[in-house]
Amino acid sequence: MKKFIIRLLFFVSPIFIIAYFVDIFISNNLRKSNLYAAKEYSTWNDIVDEKINSDILIYGSSRAWVHVDPTMIGEKLHTQAYNLGMDGQTFLLQNLRHNLILKKNKKPKLIIYSVDIFTLQKAKDLYNYSQFFPYMLWNQEMEEVVTQYDNVSSLDFKIPLVRYYGQFSPISQSVKLFLNPKKNNPIERVRGYQGQDIPWDFTFDKAKKQMETYKIVKDSNTIHQFEKFIKECKQQEIKLIFVYTPEYIEGQKFVENRKEVIDVYYKLSKKYNVPFYDYSSDSLSYDKKYFYNAGHMNKTGSELFTHKLVDVIKKDKLFTDL
Amino acid sequence: MLFNTLSFLFFLVLVFSLYWFVTGKNLKIQNILLLVTSYIFYSCWDWRFLFLLVFSTVLDYYTGLKMCESDTAANRKKWFWLSITVNLGFLGIFKYYNFFAESLASLFSNFGIYFSPFTLSVILPVGISFYTFHGLSYVIDIYNQRIKAEKNFIDYSLFVSFFPLLVAGPIERATHLLPQIKKERFFNYDNAVKGLKQILWGLFKKVVIADNCAHFANIIFEGSDTYPGSTIFLGALFFTFQIYGDFSGYSDIALGVAKLFGIDLLRNFAFPYFSRDIAEFWRRWHISLSSWFKDYLYIPLGGSKGSVWKKVRNTFIIFLVSGFWHGANWTFIIWGFLNALYIMPSIVFNTNRNNIEIVAAGKLLPTLKELISILITFLLTVIAWIFFRAENVNQALLCISKIFSQSVFSKIDIPQIEVALITILLTSFFMIIEWIGRTNQFAIETLFAKKPQFIRWSFYYILIVIIFVFAGSNQQFIYFQF
Repeated sequence: MKKFIIRLLFFVSPIFIIAYFVDIFISNNLRKSNLYAAKEYSTWNDIVDEKINSDILIYGSSRAWVHVDPTMIGEKLHTQAYNLGMDGQTFLLQNLRHNLILKKNKKPKLIIYSVDIFTLQKAKDLYNYSQFFPYMLWNQEMEEVVTQYDNVSSLDFKIPLVRYYGQFSPISQSVKLFLNPKKNNPIERVRGYQGQDIPWDFTFDKAKKQMETYKIVKDSNTIHQFEKFIKECKQQEIKLIFVYTPEYIEGQKFVENRKEVIDVYYKLSKKYNVPFYDYSSDSLSYDKKYFYNAGHMNKTGSELFTHKLVDVIKKDKLFTDL
Repeated sequence: MLFNTLSFLFFLVLVFSLYWFVTGKNLKIQNILLLVTSYIFYSCWDWRFLFLLVFSTVLDYYTGLKMCESDTAANRKKWFWLSITVNLGFLGIFKYYNFFAESLASLFSNFGIYFSPFTLSVILPVGISFYTFHGLSYVIDIYNQRIKAEKNFIDYSLFVSFFPLLVAGPIERATHLLPQIKKERFFNYDNAVKGLKQILWGLFKKVVIADNCAHFANIIFEGSDTYPGSTIFLGALFFTFQIYGDFSGYSDIALGVAKLFGIDLLRNFAFPYFSRDIAEFWRRWHISLSSWFKDYLYIPLGGSKGSVWKKVRNTFIIFLVSGFWHGANWTFIIWGFLNALYIMPSIVFNTNRNNIEIVAAGKLLPTLKELISILITFLLTVIAWIFFRAENVNQALLCISKIFSQSVFSKIDIPQIEVALITILLTSFFMIIEWIGRTNQFAIETLFAKKPQFIRWSFYYILIVIIFVFAGSNQQFIYFQF
């Protein structure tokens, strides 16, 4: 037995020792990718490397990411802005980014929160999990939030390499980036934003074929956390505004309880005195040519919208009087 | 708690440590520990079904004792039939009731009589087919006076519930496992190392081969109405390797784990895809079930004795029952029927024992004749597996009709072609290692045994890296549903 244990330990110890260094190698190279994990690494890198430092931050999902151009906002308002929209994520993870920013970057003066019908939902499984991989090891703050999803284990945060088990795609990406960091790795998100110069992609049409309507299930814990976030912004004297960015009118009809969800934002806006700009009925929402699917505007639409948003910020003195 | 998860690794390390270091190597305490941990292992799926397992165990233990105590044959028969009826009753209710109710309603509808059958919305208790067959073999052996009833309830319960074999076999026999449970066990270094190697190889089969093949088999079978024959054939090949990797991988892990506790379980697979005829295939595939049916069904029916007609009848019976054992679906029954058809020529012409030894033993490569025989047997099993995998008979027939159409020559069209190519490469590597190690109990048992430790260990490290990088997305073990 003694011989067995000693030889077994002798066999497995190199694995444990090397695991940490391999983990660092994969993570450090993977985070160089500008395209992998829905192009989220550049934004995460700016957060963890304390490079956000902007007075105006845009929060939200992919609708924020592709609808609001922070460079244009920065130029027009003579400041720095950053778009932190996260593809496919709802408030819990958007809030994780907010907390990490406050911890590692300068406090913003204005947060433009792009709320949408999905903001207060919570999915069972975490979408685009690999966006967290390079930053997860022994990251307690991230662990507390991300482990709320069924497909995430806290062992992924605690033991080196566990999260990369069976993840051929990120591992191979990492090796490719190690060998040639510039090959097939163009920068596509600028300050978190990427205008989408693409035609109508028919995803909405396919969804409509699959189901008549869609019903949003609000998550009570997410709503609670959202209220807490609003209160904390008030306490920290961060100006907060809600924006419901344009949404194609046919898509609006697709969501069965859309009004009920948007009413939550109206109520919270009233309760905490947070300005709410709802562009659901804006002329942009009625014109298909500004969209590439029901929920997302193309580059032309997003530029027109950002102009409108800047005008409102100026008109209502949301930034200048801070 | 699946074998291929970290939680099982922690569980195994804990049980192993307690077993060898805390129990003071006291057999009684070791058996109690294994029984308790086996029940914990089973409860991880659904603790409610633990009651069913315990009830089935108590029933067979008690009826076994009563049969032994019986003075008269009639009394023994009474207890025997009580056990058989209740055991098969549970299996019937949980596994087959809905199938019969729906099939009956469908049959009546052909005659214009329509009714909606009362169906049960219960999930199938994991491992029920396996532990029921454990119990049945025990009761039948006592009834036939092959063995005496086990008096120690703990030992008997452990025989039924030993965690490595509890949910998907191998289906053990009291004559093989009970004596090991009752005998003092000593740690054997060579056996434990062999166990670890078998676990490693089993993991490779499951997470690299089966889970990656499953990914593509699922895509292709789900889109079978749109894919051409060539892609469907590739899907059938992926499933052929998936089911082998999945089930033999599970069996290897089970056997390896048992070895760590000083227990040898029955071998379940012996390189079936190198078989030269279907009879050989069935001696090498799911051996513990095939031998169960042979001993408890085929031989009592007369076996290969008597007229050709009787042999044919008995063969069809065991293959149809074997198909039905896998699940309450016509696809499994047709799969069994197809295998019975395949084996028929060797039954009729009495050539079913032509190929007993492993192919090309002592040689590097098979002869051309052997190679052709292997390929033909393999292709026949691929066609049969289509029924096993398909959702229903219509889907299976559609797949087969496409494979036997012109579209089998069209370009293969599947998503993620690069990943598919990697999967094919890994499967080729797997089959080469299987070929090299085909004379052993499992492929890597003696691989590089005569080479320096550095080479041997390097090979194991390479396997671990392959498992780490190429592990497919976690798929349930196929045989857990049976």
